[in-house]
Amino acid sequence: MDQPELAVPSAPAWSRPVVMMPIFTVASLLGGLLPSFSIEANLYIFALGSVMLWLGLSQRVPRRPPPRRLPRGLVWWLLPVGVFVFFELSTFAFGSTEEYPTLSLLADPVLDHYVPRALVYFGWLSGFWGLVRR
Amino acid sequence: MSVTRMIAIGGFVLAALLVVGVEWAARRWHRIPTLGDMAAVIMTHEAGRIPVGRIAVFGFWWWVGWHFLAR
Repeated sequence: MDQPELAVPSAPAWSRPVVMMPIFTVASLLGGLLPSFSIEANLYIFALGSVMLWLGLSQRVPRRPPPRRLPRGLVWWLLPVGVFVFFELSTFAFGSTEEYPTLSLLADPVLDHYVPRALVYFGWLSGFWGLVRR
Repeated sequence: MSVTRMIAIGGFVLAALLVVGVEWAARRWHRIPTLGDMAAVIMTHEAGRIPVGRIAVFGFWWWVGWHFLAR
């Protein structure tokens, strides 16, 4: 007896990694050229985020089904979150100085260089895309 | 480099290593949810027909990009 075929929506061709990754690469290489605190960088982040938000809230990109419930091992995530929050709040409370640097203060001199900046752009865009597909 | 600065850097490195470790464990044993699974569950929350969960998660990630790359 023939089994009825399930209609699984296929991802549009433009949303496949072979298309999106080169787009993210070019966008990251461009973004790396824009210095922090510049109007261009603000507009660029605003534009990229707007596109991602629009894609993420529309039905244009198929989403992976979410899990029905989360396992109890969820509590393990409190460990990295707790360590991060402790050090971020502590250094912030001490004024975020050279001696007590917050994460942002530590990241700024690294992100002044083109390659790490472009890599962070790529990570940010890839993460955004991963959320859009969820 | 002052001792307090070294401790702060060590703390942030430790937090990053813990993220990698817990994510690795989640993908290996499935008793721990992955970051993606947690984000997916948060994004299912809606207020009426407004997808507040999706808006909140996207808004947070957008802010992260702006905070480190634009401001």
